[in-house]
Amino acid sequence: MHDFPPRIDAYTRAETARPDTRSPARFLLWTLRVQWDVLAALSIAGLAWFLPSALSPYLLGRTIDAGILVGDWAATAWWASLLAAVILVGAASGIVMHTYAVRGWLIALYGTQKLVTRKSVQLGHVLNRRLPTGEVLSISSSDSDIFGATFEVVARALGAFGAFLLVGGLMLSTSGPLGLVVLLVAPLMVAAAVPVLRPLNRAQTAERTQNGELTSMAADIVAGLRILRGIGGELTFGDNYAVQSQKVRRLGVTAGTWQAVVDTLSVLLSGLLLVVLVWLGSHEMMAGRLTLGQLISFVGYAIFMVWPLQTMFEVAQKWVRGLVSARKTIALLNAELPWTEGDLPFPARPRLRDEKSGLVVEPGEFLVVVSADPDESAALADRLGRYLPTAGGAPTDEPDEDELKGRAARQARAEKERRRAEIARRDAETAGTAWGVSADGLDYEHYRMDSLRERVLVSDAGSQLFAGTFQQAVDPLGVHTREQAERALRTAAAEDVFDGLPQGWASRVDEKGRGLSGGQRQRVVLARALLADPEVLVLVEPTSAVDAHTEEAIAERLAGHRRGRTTVVMTGSPLLVHQADRVAFVAQGRQLATGTHAYLVRNHPGYRSVINRGMEDDDEH
Amino acid sequence: MSTDTTLGSDQLALSAASWSDHPNRFELPPELSDPAPGMPALAVRFRSRQARAEAFFAASRNPEQGLPVAHNAKAFAFIGSLLSTRRALLTAVIAFNVLAATAGLIVPRMLGDLVDEVAAGNTPLAAVDAIILGVAGVVVVQALLTFAARRASAVFGYDLLAAAREAIVRTVLRLPLGRIESASSGDLLTRITSDVSKMSESVRWAFPQLVMSVVVTALTIVAMVLNSWFLALPLVVSITVLVLVTRVYLRRAMPGYITESGTYSQINSTMTETVEGARTVEALGLHGRRIQIGEDDIAVSNQAERYTMTLRNLLFIFLDASYQLPLVAVVVLGTWGYANDWVTIGQITAAAIYVQQLVEPLDRMIQVADRLQIGLAATTRLLGIAEVPQDRVPGAARPVDEHLVGSELRFAYREGRDVLHGIDLDLAPGERLAVVGPSGSGKSTLGRLLAGINGPRTGTVRVGEVELMTLPLDVLRTEVALVTQEHHVFVGTVRDNIVLARDHQLSPEQGDAAVLDALRAVDALDWVQKLPNGLDTMLGHGRTQLTPAQAQQVALARLVVADPHTLVLDEATSLIDPRTARHLEGSMAALLEGRTVIAIAHRLHTAHDADRIAVVIDGRIVELGSHAELLEQGGEYARLWHTWRS
Repeated sequence: MHDFPPRIDAYTRAETARPDTRSPARFLLWTLRVQWDVLAALSIAGLAWFLPSALSPYLLGRTIDAGILVGDWAATAWWASLLAAVILVGAASGIVMHTYAVRGWLIALYGTQKLVTRKSVQLGHVLNRRLPTGEVLSISSSDSDIFGATFEVVARALGAFGAFLLVGGLMLSTSGPLGLVVLLVAPLMVAAAVPVLRPLNRAQTAERTQNGELTSMAADIVAGLRILRGIGGELTFGDNYAVQSQKVRRLGVTAGTWQAVVDTLSVLLSGLLLVVLVWLGSHEMMAGRLTLGQLISFVGYAIFMVWPLQTMFEVAQKWVRGLVSARKTIALLNAELPWTEGDLPFPARPRLRDEKSGLVVEPGEFLVVVSADPDESAALADRLGRYLPTAGGAPTDEPDEDELKGRAARQARAEKERRRAEIARRDAETAGTAWGVSADGLDYEHYRMDSLRERVLVSDAGSQLFAGTFQQAVDPLGVHTREQAERALRTAAAEDVFDGLPQGWASRVDEKGRGLSGGQRQRVVLARALLADPEVLVLVEPTSAVDAHTEEAIAERLAGHRRGRTTVVMTGSPLLVHQADRVAFVAQGRQLATGTHAYLVRNHPGYRSVINRGMEDDDEH
Repeated sequence: MSTDTTLGSDQLALSAASWSDHPNRFELPPELSDPAPGMPALAVRFRSRQARAEAFFAASRNPEQGLPVAHNAKAFAFIGSLLSTRRALLTAVIAFNVLAATAGLIVPRMLGDLVDEVAAGNTPLAAVDAIILGVAGVVVVQALLTFAARRASAVFGYDLLAAAREAIVRTVLRLPLGRIESASSGDLLTRITSDVSKMSESVRWAFPQLVMSVVVTALTIVAMVLNSWFLALPLVVSITVLVLVTRVYLRRAMPGYITESGTYSQINSTMTETVEGARTVEALGLHGRRIQIGEDDIAVSNQAERYTMTLRNLLFIFLDASYQLPLVAVVVLGTWGYANDWVTIGQITAAAIYVQQLVEPLDRMIQVADRLQIGLAATTRLLGIAEVPQDRVPGAARPVDEHLVGSELRFAYREGRDVLHGIDLDLAPGERLAVVGPSGSGKSTLGRLLAGINGPRTGTVRVGEVELMTLPLDVLRTEVALVTQEHHVFVGTVRDNIVLARDHQLSPEQGDAAVLDALRAVDALDWVQKLPNGLDTMLGHGRTQLTPAQAQQVALARLVVADPHTLVLDEATSLIDPRTARHLEGSMAALLEGRTVIAIAHRLHTAHDADRIAVVIDGRIVELGSHAELLEQGGEYARLWHTWRS
């Protein structure tokens, strides 16, 4: 039988099976189908677990009629031990049911998380152009749980349905009128709660939304705490928080009041059902059509029947929630890579040419690109690395359509989907034709993506550090020697980062390098790129967050470290241009001039003003 | 300069010692990674998982770094103090719950009486109907009392919760300045988001439920004894079993659940990194690695889930039996008692109903106990925030002028490792000082001492003859301010975002005037006036979003309102893109006008423009003078300048 965690290979090279993502309902059914055996086992165990509650009223009634009332010890012993046996079977199947419920829930939950991870790494940088980060994360953290809950409730309802039929049969065979009353009134009782559930739901949603707001206010205070304690404003923001907190309190009381109404209704209705049953029953008894034991059984049945019925209503609610989650999930899983892949391996020592700017990168050279506009350098680096442009096209987190109702919600969703489809279409257009950068005279579109990524590495301001040991931060794949790592660290002038770590390479680096300063993070990212040692390394502003002393050290070491390999640095730093084999000056998207730094300074006033950052030319002292 | 140095010898030793040849190897203990079949192996795995949970729990209770955790006694005292101010409400909650539960218990008793009447066989139908009408009346009363009890619980629970979280946020807002600057915000953020929500869950849901279940259970037992003490005997056994089992369970459950939720946080943070860093993953070919890390996280979570699952299974065996078996015992005792005329058939019926009615509140009590434990743990972490000692004792002396002097400054983050070695610095009011030097040389630390964020280990920083660390914060802010590259925009109105330093000091009109002046000074009045609601426009995440340049202008306007005579700029513009920086030059100039400025500079052109330059290397000022003087000296600064300019 399936067990957790499940094996998932979708969206990887070893793919053997994919989820059914043709529609939300099909996906939801798929989450059940992949573990049909657990579902079946859970339903059966669920039915067995219902048994004691379903059968004990009957057995109790029999004990009273056949044993206690007539003083028959043997009959009492027989019925009482049957009662005990049923209870023990119930307890045992309770364990089995719980085990399978956890199993199925976690298969769905871990399975969804694995799908999200696999799809995310498959999409790479395209992911952030398809869905906002928050949406992807919420699929992994909350929708995965909802798939677990859907599985569990479906299985439980199957068991409950079995119990419902069983008890219904028992009742009708004992007494027609009473049986009918229970079978008719019990569903009504559950249904009576439905109109109240709607305002309850609304009140709870309002409270949850405002409570989320309150939490983000607290997070906001923590994020800006340095400013609040450094400059002031504690009173204002403490008060703002208190105002929101009181608002949440009032909404909470409203939701609590509706919950009280629901609870009250359930007390009232089940109490009244009991009264009606006893009234009918005592009349039947006095007319001699019912025994005392049977009446007591009926009271038990009536209390029991509320259960399976509630479970079936729960299924309806959870299935709807499951569909909402499934829609979000398939939006991610259906995102496709826009590339049309070539089949050639990327050349080992390529000569690169960017058509748009006319920039040429010779094999093995240390080229510095100086641009008047930092966005332009970033776009050039994206082109050289075959990345879709960073600027434009990233979807943003939007207000959840849950807050809108009916048509407005559908329209908002359709609009959102249309916008996203538009971005995907444009991406496919950009990525599906000639890229505009050639290696050894052949456009990028002819090369295999994995081979290109292996040979050309772009390290820019968006490069992220990952949590782990410091060694893993610098050498994430764990394939380099200590000497190589030390050399990379030294070239990046990151010795002081190492020095500040208590346990050397084994020290913990927090998520996204939090805990390191901006300058330290930048140098660790640089060391990581150097250690990866790609054929072509494109660095975008690698020293923007470090001081002049450190920048000087990096500039002096970088060219030596990369000797023999191609290095392109986009920067305006005078310290780095000094070390370049060649400098290319780019403005308005075109390469205007190229040559050594000294040559460009002499001959290009435009270059001179960019490199001197607006300081007057004659300002030598 | 350190240009030619490589790793030092002690660094090399550390490097060799700490380098791992299999950095990415992930291993569970053998009994967990390769499970053997059979019960004995299951027991071994259970113990191994238990040890892992206990270890994780112990580590989470004693964080190596970060904020302290308070003792349980503190949490109880805190809850006690909140309760003591809400006595009337608490009394109402308990009273309504007792009444509702009592009404609920009368019904089975009346039904029992009814059964006796009918069984006697000589009661007129009208009498039976009268009793039933009475039962119906009691049911209605019970429903009304239930409503009152639930509503009172909601009012009480939400009130308690609001008071608790507001108190905690105010505590956060009192955290000592030096501590915030040094600690990473992650721990605090987890506490104020996830611990507050755990605490709310237990206050809002678990606490009222506990009151209800305890009341119902206690009264049901009383009712059973009143009905027939003889038929109540089975409860003695089952309650003893329940108490013992639950105590063992709860002791194990807390570490189990804390570990479990810890593994989910780990899964989420790995996922966040993978998603946010998708481009880096692609660039470095980390696809397989990220999938593997995800697998490893899930493998760990899997073990935590299996541990709590087994714990619950063990509990359920006893629970289900203890709930239901008393029914069998009631029947057996009932037969005996009925034969001997000790009990009536009505008493047996009532006892059977009572036994079944006990299941729900007992079950709920156990669930609630789980949550309450977790809530208690969260509360101790929240109260831990209050245990951070204050870092300054305000005195009565106030500065006589704006003259800032640091003398003999030494400072250490770690015992015995000074990063500053006796720095003397005398700043003329209105002067611009640039501090340059390699990273790790102590520039930023010096800035923090001069801004009064941290106190020096030895030596003093005085402004107008008064030590900075003896000034109350609201006075310090109007003397010196530290400006960093952080430009956080708060969720709040434009006014709230800017008036900070003078909140509650100025009337609303004065506040508006001050904010408008500040916006004008930093060139931001135009776009603010174009906002839909002007100064009342809500800013921050999910509302009106500002461009980086606008956010920076807001940050500068805050400082104009605070109006300190001295500013310490730490890399204030290094992370802003050059175009934005250029756009801000005017705003920045307006802010700096007429103030003493200490600029910790990355860029040499900042240094070039300063009145004096201090070159800091290895915690000492090695050169101090104007640009021209330092070039004359031909030292470190001159060398760097020439390289940069050639």
